[in-house]
Amino acid sequence: MDFGMLITSYAEVFTSLQILLMTFIGALGGILLGAIPGMTATMGVALLVPFSFGMDLIPAIGLLLGIYCGGMYGGSISAILIHAPGTPSAAATVLDGYPMTKRGEAGRALSVAMFSSFCGGVIGALIMTFLSPLIADMAMNFGPGEMFMLAFFGLSVIISISGKSITKGLMSAFLGMFMCCVGLDPTNGIPRFMTVKQTGLLDGFQFIPALIGMFAVAEVIAGVERILNGKEHTASSNEKITSVLPDWKTIKMIWPNILSGSIIGTFIGAIPGAGGDIAVFVSYGASKSASKHPERYGTGIPQGVAATESANNGCSGGAMIPLLSLGVPGDAVTAVLLGAFIMKGIQPGPMMYVSELHTVYKVFAALMLSNLCMLIVGCLGVRFFAKIVSVEKTMLYPIILVISLLGAFSINKSVFDIGVCVAFGVFGWLMNKYEFPLSPILLTLILGPMCEKNFVRFMNIHHGKIFDIFQSPIAMVFLVVAIGTIVFSIFNQRKINKREAEARANGGSQE
Amino acid sequence: MTKKTQSLAFANLIASLIFIALGIWGIIQMLNLQQVKDTYAQPNVFPIAMITGMLIFSVILLIQSIIKLSKMNLNDPMVDKAESINVIKDKGVQGALIVIALCVAFVLLFRPLGYVLDAAIIGFIIMALIGKRNWVVMVIVSIAIPFVMWLLFFKLLSVNIPMGPLSFLKDLIAMI
Repeated sequence: MDFGMLITSYAEVFTSLQILLMTFIGALGGILLGAIPGMTATMGVALLVPFSFGMDLIPAIGLLLGIYCGGMYGGSISAILIHAPGTPSAAATVLDGYPMTKRGEAGRALSVAMFSSFCGGVIGALIMTFLSPLIADMAMNFGPGEMFMLAFFGLSVIISISGKSITKGLMSAFLGMFMCCVGLDPTNGIPRFMTVKQTGLLDGFQFIPALIGMFAVAEVIAGVERILNGKEHTASSNEKITSVLPDWKTIKMIWPNILSGSIIGTFIGAIPGAGGDIAVFVSYGASKSASKHPERYGTGIPQGVAATESANNGCSGGAMIPLLSLGVPGDAVTAVLLGAFIMKGIQPGPMMYVSELHTVYKVFAALMLSNLCMLIVGCLGVRFFAKIVSVEKTMLYPIILVISLLGAFSINKSVFDIGVCVAFGVFGWLMNKYEFPLSPILLTLILGPMCEKNFVRFMNIHHGKIFDIFQSPIAMVFLVVAIGTIVFSIFNQRKINKREAEARANGGSQE
Repeated sequence: MTKKTQSLAFANLIASLIFIALGIWGIIQMLNLQQVKDTYAQPNVFPIAMITGMLIFSVILLIQSIIKLSKMNLNDPMVDKAESINVIKDKGVQGALIVIALCVAFVLLFRPLGYVLDAAIIGFIIMALIGKRNWVVMVIVSIAIPFVMWLLFFKLLSVNIPMGPLSFLKDLIAMI
């Protein structure tokens, strides 16, 4: 590693007015886009690529990375404030972010999310700077067997996010897996649980309309129900935000979650095909398992928000690793970035570290700058974003509904998707009413297709010998960690149930 | 005193029966699925495995619910009560069903009415339903929010959204 060149590259990026401006605009646009349910960082990057054609490479990359990082954080704003994750990567942020808002701590939740996103992004960028060739080599050893086991490992956190009843959590998870099987079989194209005339279902249930439905639409239906039953006041929240950054006490509380989330995020982000949506659940599960008070997760604690937000922004650094080191995009955003590099006459890959090392270091610096810009825009915006919860509930719920339904339409410009969103909204409302957790369904909707596709590929490559999977050391590591996670989560859940039963009994005896 | 049919255990019993029925239907569908030559994993293998998992845990919940119901002391104040879904007595459930009906109407009328009109109508009705009575604010908010969202998607994000009778706005905005 050429430290002299690294420092020069950072200095060039941080002192160029054009790069600073473009990255700032990108971060602002990304945060605003990410906050709209249904608009993802990928869409933002794809929409703004044409604007970057006329720019030099680094300002263009700064603009796109700004959107990427900003979009990752932006998704958490709507997740925290209105129970509608703006992006799939913010899906786990609702678990603790929204309860904090309900308790009148929206500003604190937003500042924790922003600070954690920033730290996650910076740690991801640092790991990318110093370890990218090493991690890229490891990521390239992932075949179908390893990907299948990675998906299985991701699924092992289901018990951690199941809530009170493991049985109900697992029922929800298998129902989610069942839902993933609707549509054309991914390998042979055989229609399952549908007829060929139902073209809207050919690709199965679209994830984003389902996500918006289960969280935002279900929350609106439940909110109307609560208001009419007199269980929720229509008055607005008047929380005063004294500081845009978390206080020292909170930072001391959340730093282990930020550190573990960032590392998990960077590692998962580096694996092609895996991204922030998986990393956030893995990080949340790991954070809950490691906690002395796992029963507090899901009730609105900063640690839960920190674990998920640091993981999804850590992914931005991770996803850049295979792109720069191997020329392989890890996700849709880096695929667009690859296009931007090629348009400028630079081919990412191992040779880039030899012939274009200066450019590689500038990209590292641009990612660092993007995270800094995201922090600045976030700090400036916290007070403004938090104003959303000061809107009266009688106006807020209809506004959430009409924006969410538009978000569901905008993905594929399909009215069918709005129908899917509404159907999942009703489903989510009923599931919540009868205490069936929704997060396992969400996780399986993300991991189910990855799990099946890689299972079938592995079976076909290995002529149906499933036990060949035990010959892969990476797959075995994932399997052992997954089994450990399951055992530990069951033990943890029993501990939580026991504590809750004791608390109830004490409460009952006092009464 | 909670009736057994009002308890969460009873709701779980009903839910497990619904899951079991759904699982059996799914298995029947998959057993009749077209088979593919030259593959080591038929298209029905994965779904059958997942549905079997769902059936196993549904049966476990069914057994747990039956045991809970049989041991339930109706005078115990600690019995978990399920939330009501009584359409006749529960105002909240009635409101929730109205919102669902409005959402369905929104989907059906999305193309003919266009987003702005469609959203303005359901937004206004929901505001009225949950107690907003400042009619001027209601009209302004229910029209302004969908219009601004449409403008954002149409102008900045280049997403073409159906506008129904208000399609002339697209030409108007394009001219500006």
